Amino acid sequence: MLRVLAALLSLLPAFALAQEKVTVGIVTSLSGPMAAPGKFQMNGFRLAEEEINSAGGFALGGRKYLVDLKAYDTRANPAEGASAMQRLATVDKAPVVLGELHSGVAAAEAPIARDYGVPLVLTIPTGPGLTEQGNPFLFRVNANNDQLTQALADFVARQGWTPLAFIAWNNDAGRGGVNGMKKLLGESKIGYIGYFNVGEVDFASHVSNIRAGSARAVMLLMDEEPGSLAIRQIRDAGLKTQLIGTLAMGSDRFLKRLDADRLEGMVQYNAFPPNAAVPRIRAFSDRYRKKYGEEAHGFAAQSYDGLMLAVAAMQRAGTVTDGRKIRDALAAIEHDGVIGRIRFDSKGQAHPPVYVTQWCANGSRRILFPESLKADCGAG
Amino acid sequence: MPAAVLEQTINGLMSGSVYVLVALGMVLIYGVMHVLNFAHGVLFMLGGYVCHFFFTRVTGSYALSVLLSMGVLALVGIALERGVFRPLHGNLRNQVIASLGLILVIENLVVAVWGPNALQMKVPATEQLVPLGALRFPLQHLLVILVTFAVVAALFLFLKFSKPGTAIRAASQDRLAAMVVGIPVERIDWTTFALGTALAALGGALIGPLFLVFPLMGDAPMVKGLAGILLGGMGSVPGAVIGGLLIGVVESLSTLVLPTDYRDSVAFVVMVLILLARPQGIFGVRVRGED
Repeated sequence: MLRVLAALLSLLPAFALAQEKVTVGIVTSLSGPMAAPGKFQMNGFRLAEEEINSAGGFALGGRKYLVDLKAYDTRANPAEGASAMQRLATVDKAPVVLGELHSGVAAAEAPIARDYGVPLVLTIPTGPGLTEQGNPFLFRVNANNDQLTQALADFVARQGWTPLAFIAWNNDAGRGGVNGMKKLLGESKIGYIGYFNVGEVDFASHVSNIRAGSARAVMLLMDEEPGSLAIRQIRDAGLKTQLIGTLAMGSDRFLKRLDADRLEGMVQYNAFPPNAAVPRIRAFSDRYRKKYGEEAHGFAAQSYDGLMLAVAAMQRAGTVTDGRKIRDALAAIEHDGVIGRIRFDSKGQAHPPVYVTQWCANGSRRILFPESLKADCGAG
Repeated sequence: MPAAVLEQTINGLMSGSVYVLVALGMVLIYGVMHVLNFAHGVLFMLGGYVCHFFFTRVTGSYALSVLLSMGVLALVGIALERGVFRPLHGNLRNQVIASLGLILVIENLVVAVWGPNALQMKVPATEQLVPLGALRFPLQHLLVILVTFAVVAALFLFLKFSKPGTAIRAASQDRLAAMVVGIPVERIDWTTFALGTALAALGGALIGPLFLVFPLMGDAPMVKGLAGILLGGMGSVPGAVIGGLLIGVVESLSTLVLPTDYRDSVAFVVMVLILLARPQGIFGVRVRGED
């Protein structure tokens, strides 16, 4: 009996081989401070993987290949990211690696991608410097901070929401964002600027200063958790100032942390309004809700597009092993993704559309920008 | 401008109150056992988590959850005194190292049980707003100050007039003499530890609904509380109260004239300046003849 079982077991790997799998590397945060957004990223990858494999895999040279995701937890830690990237390139022999959330970790992974000739496709980090290093193996699907603030600066200037005050993270993301807006709007339009350190939770002193400086609007350059605290403290102190947030603050998840009363009127830039009346967005949101039972998220859409794009590049390159050929295919590709048309510029940066959405009184969102997609409550 | 000064003074009193709660526990334990418990910040954090657990899972009553959290942390304090600090009695260096090790153990235990993400505690008092002239504060904000003042008053009465309180003072003034007159100093040790950790738990439980409950929530209060102790005079209970409040108010008011990212440095610059002028701290008395 045991011998039969052993014989059967030994057949199993042979079976798996017969199906031809391609190992696609994933670097993400499954634990640590970025575990929550990391879940959206993984959800996007998993949804794409499931759709490809349930259709029998993707076709290449008369064969069908299944996608096999090999995910490593980089825990927002550059050292972890570097070792995961190295392992994917050498041990797992992944022809292409996708993901990452943290710009600092991505910066540690990118040189390794170049050293081993394995393209690294980022789907979430927004640090503008990443695609300025002249690294031909680095690609970014999502809009970076400069692209996001550009869209918002145009919008703020047109609304006349100046002087504009800031509460921003005392790090690259926060200071970079403030400097970007300063450059775009001009020094004279900037009011109070307050920086806070990661882990700080008391924004009372900023609230006092914003009240005293009579700013028309406050921009919150931070993540979900401090964002919800800052908004609560600003509104509870009775400040009626216009609030402007980041893309972390335009989701149902964020609404659950606060309430519609405190959020009403706040605007934020957004890479993916899940309820927009655009067929590709609607279709994705429906499939996402069916699988995960919750509202789709921009991070998931970007990551879904990333995997689909990588598969398209492998098909175009005619290889599932040669990273250099896949890189060349990525550099030339044009892909109609969920977030929009993806085409990389010479620096490896894509230029997807950027939206500005606003919270309505009933806890839904409307789209204010771009003009062509302007839509009322429930669409954002 | 006066409104901003008033607002920042009240904000400072609030954060200062939290520093006071941490500082009092540390100073009591230091007085009796002569050890600085650096794990006090994580016990503060644990108090926040335990309160969150009782509030969301067991009873819907916030007040009851705060008391339960203080009770649980008092037991934790007794366990730590028995299991960690008593066996190391007389070896200050090892006690300090053990308290640093406890930070790692407790912090990682909390992450393992509750996960790394911040938790919310939706308490009614955070939703109620109290108008104060042109300003508004959440009720919880003012409750933190009021409860701290009440607890400080009760603690003074306890230490001054009750028998166990007198025993604590006696043990902290001279351990040997206290033993000679028949005070059970080992019992005083764990009582003091329980009292100190319960005060830390109260701090964490009070601040949790305002600022989320998360693994690093005790770090800043611990460091600022310690600064308050040094400022007020090492080993002095009234010193810990005045020192903690002073640190809170000064750092809050400083943000009216200085960039907010200097807030932490302001607290410590003030501490250094005062200690330069008065090395023993505001209330410093060298009861033990130490230098």
